[in-house]
Amino acid sequence: MEEKEKKQHRTKHSGPKAEKKRKRYLSELGIGDEEDARKRNPKAFTVQSAVRMARTFHRTQDLKTKKHHIPVVDRTPLEPPPVVVVVVGPPKVGKSTLIKCLIKNFTRQKLVEIRGPVTIVSGKKRRLTVIECGCDINTMIDLAKVADLVLMLIDASFGFEMETFEFLNICQVHGFPKIMGVLTHLDTFKNNKQLKKTKKKLKHRFWTEVYPGAKLFYLSGMVHGEYQKQEVHNLGRFISVMKFRPLTWQTSHPYVLADRMEELTNPEDVRINPKCDRKISLYGYLRGAHLKNKSQIHMPGVGDFIVSDVSFLPDPCALPEQQKKRSLNEKEKLVYAPLSGVGGIVYDKDAVYIDLGGSHAFQDEVRPNHELVQSLISTHSAIDVKMASSKVSLFTDSRPLGSEDVGQEFVMPKEERKFDMKAGRIRRKALFEEEKENDGVSDEEDDEDEEEAAMSEDGSDGDDEDDAEEKSDTELLEEKMADGRAKRLKREVAKEEAVDELPAFADSDDDLEVSSEEGKTLHEENEMEEDEEEEESTNEDESSDGVFETASKRVAESKQYEINSEDKEIRSQMSGQRLKRKAVLTTDSGNCTAEEASESEAENSFLDEGDDEEGSHDDSEVEESDRKGFRHAQVKKSDSTGWTKFKAVEAEDDDVENLLREEEEYEEKIDSSADTTGALKWKEDLAQKAAQAFLRQQRSTPNLRKLVYGTAVEDEDHESEDTGDELGGLFHVSRPDKASKQKANALDCSKFVIEKLQDWDLEEVMSSIRDCFVTGKWEDDKDAAKLLEEDEELYGDFEDLETGVVHKGKRAAEGDEHESEEEEEDGKMSQPEPKEEEKQKERMDKKRKLKEMFDAEYDEGDATYFDDLKEEMHRQAQLNRAEFEDQDDETRVQYEGFRPGMYVRIEIENVPCEFVLNFDPHYPIILGGLGNSEGNVGYVQLRLKKHRWYKKILKTRDPLILSLGWRRFQTVPMFYIEDHNGRHRLLKYTPQHMHCGATFWGPITPQGTGFLAVQSVSGTTPDFRIAATGVVLDLDKSITIVKKLKLTGFPFKIYKNTSFIKGMFNSQLEVAKFEGAAIRTVSGIRGQIKKALRTPAGAFRATFEDKLLMSDIVFVRTWYPVSIPMFYNPVTSLLKPAGEKDSWSGMKTTGQLRHERGIKLKQNKDSLYKPIVREKRHFNKLHIPKALQKALPFKNKPKNLEKKGKTPKDQWRPAVIREPHEKKISALLSALSTVNNYKVKKAKVKHREKLKEYLKVKQKDDEQKFKRQKEAKKKIYRMLGQREKKRQKSSLKGSSKGEKSM
Amino acid sequence: DFEASFIRLIDKVTNGSRIEINQTGTTLYYQPGLLYGGSLEHDCSPSRSIGYYLEGLLCLAPFMKHPLKIVLRGVTNDQVDPSVDVLKATALPLLKKFGIDGENLEIKINRRGVPPKGGGEIVFACPVRKVLQPIQFTDPGKIKRIRGTAYSVRVSPQMANRMVESARSILNKFLPDIYIYTDHMKGVSSGKSPGFGMCLTAETINGTILSAELASNPQGQGAPVLPEELGQNCAKLLLDEIYRGGCVDSTNQSLALLLMTLGQRDVSKVLLGPLSPYT
Repeated sequence: MEEKEKKQHRTKHSGPKAEKKRKRYLSELGIGDEEDARKRNPKAFTVQSAVRMARTFHRTQDLKTKKHHIPVVDRTPLEPPPVVVVVVGPPKVGKSTLIKCLIKNFTRQKLVEIRGPVTIVSGKKRRLTVIECGCDINTMIDLAKVADLVLMLIDASFGFEMETFEFLNICQVHGFPKIMGVLTHLDTFKNNKQLKKTKKKLKHRFWTEVYPGAKLFYLSGMVHGEYQKQEVHNLGRFISVMKFRPLTWQTSHPYVLADRMEELTNPEDVRINPKCDRKISLYGYLRGAHLKNKSQIHMPGVGDFIVSDVSFLPDPCALPEQQKKRSLNEKEKLVYAPLSGVGGIVYDKDAVYIDLGGSHAFQDEVRPNHELVQSLISTHSAIDVKMASSKVSLFTDSRPLGSEDVGQEFVMPKEERKFDMKAGRIRRKALFEEEKENDGVSDEEDDEDEEEAAMSEDGSDGDDEDDAEEKSDTELLEEKMADGRAKRLKREVAKEEAVDELPAFADSDDDLEVSSEEGKTLHEENEMEEDEEEEESTNEDESSDGVFETASKRVAESKQYEINSEDKEIRSQMSGQRLKRKAVLTTDSGNCTAEEASESEAENSFLDEGDDEEGSHDDSEVEESDRKGFRHAQVKKSDSTGWTKFKAVEAEDDDVENLLREEEEYEEKIDSSADTTGALKWKEDLAQKAAQAFLRQQRSTPNLRKLVYGTAVEDEDHESEDTGDELGGLFHVSRPDKASKQKANALDCSKFVIEKLQDWDLEEVMSSIRDCFVTGKWEDDKDAAKLLEEDEELYGDFEDLETGVVHKGKRAAEGDEHESEEEEEDGKMSQPEPKEEEKQKERMDKKRKLKEMFDAEYDEGDATYFDDLKEEMHRQAQLNRAEFEDQDDETRVQYEGFRPGMYVRIEIENVPCEFVLNFDPHYPIILGGLGNSEGNVGYVQLRLKKHRWYKKILKTRDPLILSLGWRRFQTVPMFYIEDHNGRHRLLKYTPQHMHCGATFWGPITPQGTGFLAVQSVSGTTPDFRIAATGVVLDLDKSITIVKKLKLTGFPFKIYKNTSFIKGMFNSQLEVAKFEGAAIRTVSGIRGQIKKALRTPAGAFRATFEDKLLMSDIVFVRTWYPVSIPMFYNPVTSLLKPAGEKDSWSGMKTTGQLRHERGIKLKQNKDSLYKPIVREKRHFNKLHIPKALQKALPFKNKPKNLEKKGKTPKDQWRPAVIREPHEKKISALLSALSTVNNYKVKKAKVKHREKLKEYLKVKQKDDEQKFKRQKEAKKKIYRMLGQREKKRQKSSLKGSSKGEKSM
Repeated sequence: DFEASFIRLIDKVTNGSRIEINQTGTTLYYQPGLLYGGSLEHDCSPSRSIGYYLEGLLCLAPFMKHPLKIVLRGVTNDQVDPSVDVLKATALPLLKKFGIDGENLEIKINRRGVPPKGGGEIVFACPVRKVLQPIQFTDPGKIKRIRGTAYSVRVSPQMANRMVESARSILNKFLPDIYIYTDHMKGVSSGKSPGFGMCLTAETINGTILSAELASNPQGQGAPVLPEELGQNCAKLLLDEIYRGGCVDSTNQSLALLLMTLGQRDVSKVLLGPLSPYT
């Protein structure tokens, strides 16, 4: 027992004992105490071969650089749009099942029918838009262009199908998105070995198509009609961590994969003409690049359109706000798929089911239709906000219900749904466009809402409202105001209250503050404007009846309120302040300056509340123009004091006040500068002058932003203008565009002509710019920072921005600075910060700089060009982000357009009615933004290659459907090949296995864009459908393709080398055109056209290098430019009725037509092949005249070839007739001689062999002999060398000795 | 007629543009083609200087299909337009800032020609870039050196020296680092009419270049100008330009803004002086 409990022996691995052991072990091995083989045996690790070493080094470097991509500036927005996951595969492979499983995996919801894209939140930072792609080639092409990730489903039991390869080829052409293969139907394999084999085979094939190592997923088997949970989960994990490389086309073009479509056409128009062009709105996440309003877009399958309006909506499927948690909670796992009916709206053929969600709905849910209503409201004056909010609640549900509800709901078929509705669910059937007709199932409130919504729509359509509606509006208004009043009072008591909970309908005064505080949510802004408009209208325009009533009431109310408030003065000041703020805001938005603002303020400050602001503003501007700078400053000063006073009253620290403070500081700076240096008179003068110059400048550039960004809505003031316009043209703003006027009249010259030169002789004036030179005084901050800067110039860049700002601030004090926009903004940011913060910042900066320096020192070694480039890109990306970070979305949209990641609503007009009527959510709707020249049509040159799997070759004038850029279109390409001299020669057919050029008339697309061509998009063929692929080479507006044209003629008179040719041309003029052209005969005699002959017409004289024959045919090779047919026909497959969308067919090829009509091609008889019959050529005898014969030398004399006459009989030799004996003898002799001959032959052979052997032996001997000799020679030479060496040594020694002795 | 000449020039650099002018000459329809580039020659009308044409080309050249190399003939320096010297000194560094550089970005003045007859010749070459780099150019920095050229054609070479003297007398108060080249053209390269003038550029430590220029009255028009006076005025103009500040001088504001807009989708910043009426 004891023995069992004994501890097992454990060998020691460390400590003295182990060490000793190891030493012993090593010594036993014969190795010293050096363990490191490198040290012990250094020779084994030396460089064996420098070449190989270099090679290995090269190779490693190659491999390393192979991994590098060209760095690109990271333009992905902070909140990227959902990743588009396209699920592709042949039919019956399990696409929909996979999508359902994925959705269920991510959201725990079960969708039964998938139609259109489904957006889900897959993680803390990622959303996915999953869409299924059928095997219609149109869909495949469209989706390949927008895909970020492709899940390629492959039926393992069947293997690859054509669709898979087609899709791969489409992808290759249009930028290669990430592709992940998914093998399904693996459960059909019973044999494990076969399964393994198949997997391997498919994997390798997949790798060759995509890239080696591409991920291939295996979905083994189904459980209850779904894939195995764990496998789907794994797949989901893969998807949600996948990284993407931006594709060129996608990143340079904005695009939207629409997930919702609504028709906005006026129902009346539709009634009158059911086929009228429609106006629709499409919803979706914006991807790719920034989208500008009014830009051109293309809808593949529909056509080109101009965006009539874009607006962004709150995200219906937002990412979770706080990121701290590890995983998402149930609430954040959203799914949004309006086309499939998730997200509140179910589409039917002619109706929409809106799911209200009932009591289950989350109150703070995202509102998909919010913006729509907003935009309607903002254009309409008298609609109150309650309406908006109620309307909002109408659509309030991106994910409306608890999961079980949704499950129930969608399992049921349509009829049952209705039943469900009757059972008490708040759910109404709303007809597609006419929302007015409601079912009446809903409760009263909803009723009202509906009405209002309808009204708002009417308003937006520009219809007149009837009085009754207005009445109701006003009623509501009153209600609301009562509300607001109460709230306001409450607010007055506790002014410092948190503003967030302020209800949307507060009164205007408070509202302004709130809006400015809260980053101006659109909602409140609108409202406030409305309110203000109302006020204005009460005082200005007495005509509007209903509004007037309420507003006047309200004024009274406000007066009451004023009495209630503590003192009147403050109140009035408040109002003044409000105006002031307003003014300041305007200045902020425009490029107007503080002066302007203060001016208007000075005028407006103590005016009544209801003063027309815009008018005064304009007035002030006009007045301002002839105002003196000095007085100006004074006014400002007084203003600023006023402000400070006011600040005491209201100690709220909001944006506006920041602005004010900034202005103040600015003021003070001017004052202080004036004070410090103001002892001299000239300074004032200077300031004045500067102010004047400034003013002048102002006048010339009234509002830069407005100029640049057009009529776009700026901030509040502009919006109010808009609404003002709507109100009845009362506040129509017509700001004179002075700059443009000036421009029109002036000489077109970029030189800045100065009217009045400053008097540079004056010492004072000179000193004003002295500081601009290096010899001048440096600013304090710069001086301080100078040492640092010079130490490490590497990071000078970082500093520039900041120091630049400060520097400018100072210079602004001198008054010679024109404040540019950026500067103003920068200044805004940096100025109002308290001193301490600045100091802190400085310290931080210093720290950072030190750290960077440290980093730089250490990274010096491996900082390559690549790293530098990367670094630069990174910096640019940061800068891009930082630039607009602090602005709200409204303004941002103005500057940079709608940025990717936003959920946008795009309105498009003049859409063919078929699109709406035949709308099928199964087909993807893509809005692809076009670049500025991509809307044009022109000649496009391509490099094209027939696809090696396409069976036929392509004919040159046959129509072909190209997919290029966003578009799919049919066009007529002409194929050509480039000759060595750069000529583009027309080809009749594409070469079999070679690239050729092609030119067609079609949309201009940037060079380098890939394209693919198909013969037809309709139907399915067992063959491979992609006919050709290629790339855009060139865009040109002139045609360059030529066709060979041979003109033939015949000689009619031949002199020596000159011939007269006829039949080639028809007139002298034609000949004149071709004078000097090279001509040739069929036999190869070259010549030249000389001059036209008078008769016959078109004949000419030509010279040749040899004499022609009359039978020769003469031809001239000319090149005839081929005109390219201007045929461009966009494929409008989406306009086809549902179910026939894949049957689009455009122009037919001649071959097809012939086949259909049974027309046989009439062949030219000449071009038929027939056996070549060659006649035997007969040559005449050479006849040499006798005289010549005589003169010839004997050698050349024709020999007497004439046959001799028959020899006379007597001259015949007698025949020898042998005796038998003689015969025998001769036979024997011949036999003997044969024998002898044979013997001799044999002997000869033998002798030759012997000789060969002998030579061999001899050679061997020779070799040996040579070797011996060589060795001997070597010996001798060695000896000689040694001797020589010795001699040298001795001589050296001798010399050294000699030296020594010396 | 300089407009006609300009349109002809544009026609030369583009491919497939269409120009229609109606018979009274009051309306012009111009449909631009694709910018093509290549090696070209153009005779500019002497009523405006080459600068007028060159400004247009500077805007277009970086976006051509093939690198542009063009020979322009006409008036190189006059009183209306920015002269070729100024554009050479200011616009080219600006283009370089946008990443358009390389060996063959250059303006070479082969011959000088002043109005009224002209006779000058320049070679403008510009490479093509796929993308323009965004610029961050908000700190003009301090002026470290002033350079310039004083040219004289078909007048006494002494004129140039006199201009330089007078200009220096003013600028020396601010900065010692002044070097003004005197450029006296002789023979064929001196054009057809006499004249003189100078242009000055001020370069800051950050590479900002500001410029000013002045030219004499053309022969037979206006009173003759003293070279001293011209030099002084030119220097004053330069000071005025400095006084106005900005990272890009007034002649090139429009060019800078244009290139900023046509660049990539990255943020570019530039600090400008007061906008000139042209921009």
